Amino acid sequence: MSSEENIKADSKTEAWRQDLTKVGFVRRIFMGRKWYGADWWFVAISVVMVLGFIFVAFFPGLLAPYSPESIVGTSFLAPSTFPEVPVLLVQASSPAQGLADLATPEDAEKPVIGVLMGSPAATALREHAQEIDDQLVQEGNGLRLRPRIERYASVEELMEAVNSGTIAAGVVDLSEFDAWAAAFPELRAGDFITGETASAGGFIMGTNDIGQDVLSRLLWGTRIALIVGFSSSIISLLAGLPLGLLAGYFGGGFDRVLSLIMDSLYAFPGLILAIAITAVLGPSIYNVIVAIAVLYVPTYYRIVRGQTMAVKEEVYIEAARSIGAPRWQILWRYIYPNVIPSVAIIFSVNVADAILTGAGLSFLGLGLPPTIADWGIDLARGQRFIQTAWWMVTYPGLAIMLVVLAFTMMGEGLMEIYNPRLRER
Amino acid sequence: MPAEPLYSVRNLTVEYGTRAGAVNAVDGISFDIRREEILGLVGESGCGKSTLGKALMRLHRPPARIASGELFFDGRDLMKLPENEMRAIRGAEIGMVFQDPMTSLNPVQRIVEHITETLATHQPGITKEQARARAVEVAEQLGIRRERLDEYPHQMSGGMRQRVMISLALALHAKLVIADEPTTSLDVIVEAKFLDFLRELRKEFGLTILLITHNIGVVAEVADRVAVMYAARIMEIGDVKKIFANPKHPYTQGLLQSVPNIQLEEGEPGKQASLYKMEGMPPNLLHPPVGCRFHNRCPHVMEICKVQAPALAQVGDDHHASCWLYTQSAA
Amino acid sequence: MTPIAFILLIIGVPSLIMLLYIFIRGSMGMRKYILTRIALTVPMIFILASLVFFIMRVLPGDPVRSALGPRGTEIQAEHMRAQLGLDKPLIVQYGNFLKDIITLDFGNSMVGGHRPIIDEMSERFPATLELVIPASILALVIGIIGGSMAAAHRKKALDFSFRIYSVIIYSLPIFWFGLMLQLLFGVKLNLLPISGRIDPVIGTTLHRVTNMYLIDSLISGNWQALGSVVTHLILPTVTLGLVLSGVFVRMTRINVIETLQADYIAAARARGIRERVVVYGHALKNAMIPVITLIGLQVAILLAGAVLTETIFNWPGMGGYLVQRISARDYTAVQSVIAMFALLVALISLAVDIIYSLVDPRVRY
Repeated sequence: MSSEENIKADSKTEAWRQDLTKVGFVRRIFMGRKWYGADWWFVAISVVMVLGFIFVAFFPGLLAPYSPESIVGTSFLAPSTFPEVPVLLVQASSPAQGLADLATPEDAEKPVIGVLMGSPAATALREHAQEIDDQLVQEGNGLRLRPRIERYASVEELMEAVNSGTIAAGVVDLSEFDAWAAAFPELRAGDFITGETASAGGFIMGTNDIGQDVLSRLLWGTRIALIVGFSSSIISLLAGLPLGLLAGYFGGGFDRVLSLIMDSLYAFPGLILAIAITAVLGPSIYNVIVAIAVLYVPTYYRIVRGQTMAVKEEVYIEAARSIGAPRWQILWRYIYPNVIPSVAIIFSVNVADAILTGAGLSFLGLGLPPTIADWGIDLARGQRFIQTAWWMVTYPGLAIMLVVLAFTMMGEGLMEIYNPRLRER
Repeated sequence: MPAEPLYSVRNLTVEYGTRAGAVNAVDGISFDIRREEILGLVGESGCGKSTLGKALMRLHRPPARIASGELFFDGRDLMKLPENEMRAIRGAEIGMVFQDPMTSLNPVQRIVEHITETLATHQPGITKEQARARAVEVAEQLGIRRERLDEYPHQMSGGMRQRVMISLALALHAKLVIADEPTTSLDVIVEAKFLDFLRELRKEFGLTILLITHNIGVVAEVADRVAVMYAARIMEIGDVKKIFANPKHPYTQGLLQSVPNIQLEEGEPGKQASLYKMEGMPPNLLHPPVGCRFHNRCPHVMEICKVQAPALAQVGDDHHASCWLYTQSAA
Repeated sequence: MTPIAFILLIIGVPSLIMLLYIFIRGSMGMRKYILTRIALTVPMIFILASLVFFIMRVLPGDPVRSALGPRGTEIQAEHMRAQLGLDKPLIVQYGNFLKDIITLDFGNSMVGGHRPIIDEMSERFPATLELVIPASILALVIGIIGGSMAAAHRKKALDFSFRIYSVIIYSLPIFWFGLMLQLLFGVKLNLLPISGRIDPVIGTTLHRVTNMYLIDSLISGNWQALGSVVTHLILPTVTLGLVLSGVFVRMTRINVIETLQADYIAAARARGIRERVVVYGHALKNAMIPVITLIGLQVAILLAGAVLTETIFNWPGMGGYLVQRISARDYTAVQSVIAMFALLVALISLAVDIIYSLVDPRVRY
């Protein structure tokens, strides 16, 4: 991964290397792939990952099967298992597959559908039948679905009724059907009455304690994570960059006092500081962003100040000064462009750190309102049910790790390509 | 008839694997180092002379590797020795002095620990007291005061540290010392002292020294023989006085003319004598020129030079050069 | 004797002896260095304390109102403000705050039994130490061994594995990692306890002296308690230690690689020193000098990690206390814990710098 291989006695290599220091950042990456080998796909993979996450953050609705806050299933449904939604029970020879297939012409006899006494399936059945009926009326081809509902005391009785042809169909839970399937080989289970086929796959990542879809919350959580990560990093950058430039360039007492403050801030555990700030300011996403932004100002300050002090000693700055270029112009035209690449690298790593800290804050129950779809909040909620629902703690954490990994890898890769020496940070 | 040489190098090729392909930093070199001589190895930076120096101790690190060649040291074939026996030779029989004395001593080790550690490595039975006594003895022979041995490297001057490096080689009575640019980072006065010191050492201890340098003046001052290296090959080798008086190879001629000489300025008043500058640049070793490596810069270039590389041929008593001007073409 | 005094005794006395030794035996340069370094700690503590004060008192947000809740009356609020000294001008409050830190007297808790906060902290501080010290040792061992091994086998499979390890560990949310360990070892395999410091039944038999249960069970010879303490300690230590080790592996690797390129390493090889001695003796020793300073800067990660680890494992330490008191809106306790953390950071970085001076002869002489 490194670049400091001793390639001796090779003037062409030397020429390449010199070229590398002259061209711009983007071209350097392209030329760099020849000399840095593996690093460049390292960066490529991470850039693809980062772009993917940004896409998800912009359009979580496109990918998420459900809304993150609505209750869509039973609680604690393990990944890829079926929800306990009733299925349609019909004779094996019947052509009917779903509820809609039971529709009859307007003037014909209404189909009879059996349900268990006291089962919530009756309500669901009525709702879904009504839905289908409304649609049929709209289509206006003479078909209606207005089933008569008959109640039975036990599953056995209900199944016997369907088996004998007394009623057109029954509605039972899948588990109930499975229990009695052997006794009635002439019966089969059709679609769920919600209209989904049994092969729809359930909830890929399961449901949480109140029956929300874990996957949908995960996808929507990307948005919060990236908003927190990007906004706080941008604020830190906007504060740290100018302060670092000024302190590094002008030095003196201003620099000394500011550096002492920044060093103290840098040494202080960031999460604890953020905890204090959000605890005082109260829960809101803006306060979280501000709290995290404060933590990372010293990161930018230190890097920019160090680079400025190094660049300041370069010969061409001396030359510019000797021809009487004003200080602000030197700072803006000569020094600023030199510190920008390292700032870009730090920014990438910083977004990763900020996301991690933000997730930590909401995991502790600070900062964000508890209903919002956020990975930290979901994790904290999952911790309470760790004995029963492993999927509630596994997936949100995995998501945090992948996002952070993507940004860290991108930053690291760029860092090595741009300047191997920067790694010591 | 001269005695058997201390070190014979035959057809040594050292290869660097780079992403752009293999580079031969040392390309089929053969020469001898005679007993108790100071052999100067000169060449421009990047010509492969440091690589050669390291390869003689098999100290090269990846991506470098010895692609082919034979190394005979004191009657043994070094290429056939396993790594642990080679390690036993390093330090004990062949010592090395590096370019920068400021960085070639371990900053967290006392001076004496450098010496005793080396002794303990090569003489496993030695006691601490014996090792220390030997360290004091060697140091005093080299003019390092006993009480300075307990200091750390950063407390010593550059010249002192170079003496320490030598003492490390002498502590175990090394036969050969490879000195890689030992004076480059010293100032002129310290350099002169150090060179005197090298000469004395040879007299006193019968030491053989391979002096690698880009500074022809240093070679002229201390070496008995000189080898001139260019683009991974030896161009000319022989007695230092003969070569300096009558250089045969066009590269050596150019090299000697481009040395700044104080006497030059005593020419016509008001007119600065201009230094000779060789045309062109040393070749890219990734794609070395066919034939003689020097042909594209040579003022006497002939057709054959562009086709076939000349072998080292005798051009005088103890004087060999690799140039078609002095050899008949095989064809 | 309060537990905190006991801990100060076992940590403070050896460090005092060490300092004295340095001053009697050490060179002029070293003495000067240490004095300067101690002098620099004072403004650092001052700045950190001011920072805490600024956050807690100057930022908008009314602790009294949030402590009383929506049903608190204005009279109650006034009363509470007077009690906490919040009715005084800011500058007076600031003075009192600094005095509290210096005297380690943080007043009484606002909730529960209204006990002195220093007592509450001194019960919890040993728990944090018992977690943080083994975790740091674990992280250092993995970091130094892993980093130097990776450097010695540069660009080989081992090096690559350690690099992947450190990048993944760096991206790992510590709280999630802890939960995953709980899931695996606590829930699925049912091997290790996932909460608390000691089995509550066994805990009643343990005679508490220092409140560091490891030490307590050892000095009282209560082996059953020791077993329980150790099993409770494993998961939190591994969580915190592994997460910290990623940074250490990375720093050690980079520094050893850089050191291995130094001339004195080539010179040592040229003297026939064994490769193992060259890497783990010469190079590692030199590389550790910058690594020590860098490790000092990781105190922040360590303490932040400790807060999260304590929360996950229900560990009754300072971090758990902080989070608990934030939700209880115990404003004085929160402020005191954060001030205590600031004090810790400053003192640990001082200690690291003094150790640094002991290792590097260029500072010593």
